[in-house]
This record gives sequence, structure tokens and C-alpha cells, in this order.
Amino acid sequence: MKTPQIKLENVWKVYQTGEIELEVLKGINLEIEEGSFVILLGPSGSGKSTLLNVMSCLDTPTKGHVYLDGEDVSLLSEDELATTRGRKIGFVFQQFNLLHHLSALENVALPAVFQSVSEEERIKRSSDLLDAVGLSERKDHTPAKLSGGEKQRVAIARSLINDPEIVVADEPTGEVDTKTGSKIMSIFTDLQKQGKTIIIVTHDLSLTEYADRVIKIKDGVLEDE
Amino acid sequence: MSKEYFRLAVRNIKKRALRSWLTILGIVVGSFLVVSLISLSEGLNKAVMAELQAVGTNIVMVLPGDGMDITAMFGGQELKNTEMEAIRRSRGVEVALEMPFTIEELRWRGRTETALIMGLDLQDGYSVLRDDMGWDVREGEFARAGRREVLAGNLVPRDVFPGLEPGDEIIVSGRRLTVSGILRSLGNREDDKSIIFDLPDYRNITGTTEGTPVAVVRIEDGYDIDLAISNIERSLEETMVRRRGDDGASFSVISSEAMIEMVENILGVIQAGIVAFASIAILVGAIGIMNTMFTAVRERTKEIGILKAVGAKKKHISSIFLVESGIIGLLGGAMGVITGLAAARFGEFILASNPNLLISIEAQAPFYLIFLTLFFSFLLGCLSGFLPAKKASQLNPVDALMYE
Repeated sequence: MKTPQIKLENVWKVYQTGEIELEVLKGINLEIEEGSFVILLGPSGSGKSTLLNVMSCLDTPTKGHVYLDGEDVSLLSEDELATTRGRKIGFVFQQFNLLHHLSALENVALPAVFQSVSEEERIKRSSDLLDAVGLSERKDHTPAKLSGGEKQRVAIARSLINDPEIVVADEPTGEVDTKTGSKIMSIFTDLQKQGKTIIIVTHDLSLTEYADRVIKIKDGVLEDE
Repeated sequence: MSKEYFRLAVRNIKKRALRSWLTILGIVVGSFLVVSLISLSEGLNKAVMAELQAVGTNIVMVLPGDGMDITAMFGGQELKNTEMEAIRRSRGVEVALEMPFTIEELRWRGRTETALIMGLDLQDGYSVLRDDMGWDVREGEFARAGRREVLAGNLVPRDVFPGLEPGDEIIVSGRRLTVSGILRSLGNREDDKSIIFDLPDYRNITGTTEGTPVAVVRIEDGYDIDLAISNIERSLEETMVRRRGDDGASFSVISSEAMIEMVENILGVIQAGIVAFASIAILVGAIGIMNTMFTAVRERTKEIGILKAVGAKKKHISSIFLVESGIIGLLGGAMGVITGLAAARFGEFILASNPNLLISIEAQAPFYLIFLTLFFSFLLGCLSGFLPAKKASQLNPVDALMYE
């Protein structure tokens, strides 16, 4: 059997605030195959974002193991995690999280800076990516001059700059209208066709139609699929 | 890679222009002080040294009292005739001149003013004054011995008797004397405002027969200076002990080289003081940078989270902040150097246009001064950015991303 691209083994995440222990993830076991389109569905406070963070090397589990391509990433140092994120995972956030003093092109190119990609190559790649998401005319605009949908497309282009295997998105349609939302979802569908694994966290049931797998989470526990 | 940090840093500095400039200003103040004051004091150093070096190396000063105690100069301790004789008797001594001075009332064209008058043996002292001390007239003739002639200091025709000219008569204690010439500057303001009398005239006017707070001694050509100094010391010691008893022998004999060394030490202390105070100013500026950078880290927490999410390592994050604080330091240093040099030039101009001042100073800005100022402002910038940068690099990406 093929090794799953992402594998979670009894993953716990516990936050300690003073005397109170908050168990956000309670022993999650999960496997995700390469090239799948997964929706993590759950109400707010269910732990779905924390689960996404742990799967995408942004956060480490309090207990348990996370394997990425068979490697136990829960043992990696912070800098090693950063490198893994930079190379293998593209991030798309609900609030776009673009740097507002950089142009669209510079925002897209930014993750490549940390992978020591040459400037020439960075400009070429980010320019191509902006063309691909239909923002050829907007390359020199700063985020303030872009609409919500445009910002999210810049963010998607940014997530792809290092050609990651996995693209994760936390409520990517949360800040845009329905029509723009479906455009964004079709970009993700295209990415899946190119062979990338897509993992999207949402509380929006309507997004499940794009997915070939829906994982429901409630109170830090996965519900049966 | 570093080009990106630089670009990012410049953009961040520009974005918060007012705060950045204020922070930079904190560093400017310190480096401005260092550059302007040090280059002026270097100029002072050079001018004083030139002045001192004009005094022949075969000239030795004898002062009564302990060491270079300034109070001894004014405290009434004097070398008497027997002591002058003892100096003159010493082997190696060619000439020993008394140089007494006091304040007297002088009259010129019906005006009465008080001025410093000085007595000098123009007969014996002529060549010492002209050749070894560099005295010269700018107008008229050098005074001759025994002719009731006096020399007016450089500033006398301006500050004491405005309009005084060579050939004019002045009256002191009922005696008429002729001003034979006006001296060039002797290098300090007090001396330049004084009037120099032939020693016999000075004694008559002041009603004294002996006593001088200082003796200027010329050593014979080719005679070893140190040997001559110890000869003078031994001879004075014997005379003083005979006259005043064991405790009476206190005096110092200083060569012009020792004088230079002493002045060098004093100027060194002044410079050290300048550096110390300016360093405190720079340090305060550095605290300003640290404050600004901590604020920047807090404001940009979310940005740090984004950078970390997209793959920035700790060193990337800390570099971004270090480069920024380094640039602030370097900019402050550079502006301090420029304004400091300008101020030093301005100071030089002010000093040059004010004839009341001791000596004209030419501001000196050696390369090392500029280089060190720039280097240390950059270094301090980096150092003050170090803790904020470390804090930034250690932020947890998830927490940083959620920060609003």
C-alpha cells in the first residue's frame, strides 16, 4: 500500500491557560492521500483550524505524531518546520494575509526569497502565476488597491510560488461574495487536476461539493466519514 | 538575499517616516557631538602644539613651588635674586631671564587704564625672545635696552588704548616711556593685552628689586638638556636650603618637551571627556532605536506570522529587523558626521573671526574619526536591534498570525 502523504497518529493539542487546560484536539487519527481534495468541516471552535495548522507544520501537536511523506515532522525543530512549510506547503488564509506595503508581484514572490530562489526566477514565476489567476494587469498594485477576490487570488498565487505538493486554505471564501467564492474554488479544483493535494477548512457546507472527501470535526474529535 | 532585506528595511523605514527620523535623530545628536567636538579639539591640539613647538628645545622654565601648581604662579611664590644667581651659575645655562608681571595704571593721551605689565631684560633676553620664543613686532621696532622703550602686546591698541601707535608716549608712575612697537600675537590673550618693559624700568616703576614667578632659561648649544636641568636643580636646592632651611626647597624645572607632554596629557583628558559625554548621547540614541524596534516588532507581529508561515526561518526574521536597525544607526551616524563636520567648520570660522580668542583653530577631521563614528553607529544600531529581532524571530507563527 502506498504511504499516505499526511498521516496523523493520536494527535492531541492542549492549551494551558493558567489553571485551565483546554483540549482542542483529542487523539486525532487521520490519513490523507496525495492528490486528494479534502474539506475539513466543522463549526467554529471545533478545532478544525488547529488541526489544519498541525497538519501543515505551522503548529506542533502536544502529543502524538504527524507524518509528512513518511517523515515524522513532530520531531522537527522550528527552523526545519519553516523549511518544510516553505517547500512543500502553500498557505491561503481567510484574511488573505498579504503584506500591504508590497506589490502583488512582490507578495507572490516572497516565499521564494526564503528558499534562495534568484530574483530573476522569482519575478518570472510570480509573473506567470499572476497571469494564471487572471491578474496580469494588477501586478504592481498594492493590496489596498485590490478587491477581496483579487487579494485572494494573489494569495493563491503566492501559495504556489515554490510549487508545493499540498495547498491548505483556511476559510478561503470567508471574506468574499458567493460568485467570487466559486471562482476561487474552481482555481483549487484546477490545482487538484495538476496533482496537488488540497485541504480546505470551512464551516460552509456548500463547499463540500468540490471535495472528494469531507472530514467533519466537532469538539476536537473527528466524526465518522 | 541581503538585497531583499535591505529593500524591505528601507521600505519599512520610509513607511514610518516620522518615527524613523526621530529615531535617527537620536543617533545624529551623539555622532554630531563626537565629530564636531573632536575635530575642533584636534584642531586645538594641533594649534597649541605648533605654538609650543615654536619654543626652542633648548629653553627650560624654572618655577617656584610644587610642580605645575597654577596657584604657585599667582600665590606670590617668587624666585629671588640669589636663586636667579644660582640658576645662572649652573653649568650649561647660557641665559636666565626673569619675567615678573603685575597690574599697573598707565596713562596715554590723558586716558588712564590698568593693564598687565611685564618686565624682561631686553639686553640679555633679546635673542631668547626673538629666536627661541618667536617674539616679533608687527608694527614699529623691537624695544632697545636702556632707552625707556616699551613693547605693546598685539591687543593693546584695540582693547586697552584704542588707537595706540608706535612712537606714542605712555606714563607710568610718573615716568614717560616710548612705545617702540606693537608685538605680533604671543599666543594667548592675557599676554597680548600686556605691555612689556625693560627689566630696570619695570623695577623702578614697581619699586621692587627682585622676585619673579618664573625664569626662562636658555641652555648652551650642544649642552645636554637633562644634564643642565639637573645642574639647575642641584644648584637651586643648595641655595634654597641654605636660605630657607630644609623645607624651603620647592621648585620645578621643566623643559619645553616636558611642557609639550604635559599639554598633550591635558588635551588627551579633554578629548576623553568629549568622547565619554558624546558616547552617553549615542547610547541614549541606541536606547531610542531599541524602543522603536520593539514597537516595530509588536506592530508587525502579524507580518512576522505571515513570513514564518510562508517559510521564513528565525534567522530570516531577525535579519530583517537587524538590517533595519543597522540602517537607522548608520544613517544617524552619517548625518551626524556631515552635520558635525559642518559645525566644526562653522566653529572654526567663528573662532577665526574673533580676535579676542587665544589662537586660531583649524578643525581637523581625520579619517579614523569619520570611519569610527560610522562604524560604531552602525554597530550600535545592530546591537540595539538585537533583542527586538530575537523577540521577533522567536514568535510562534500561529500566535503571530492571530495577532490583531
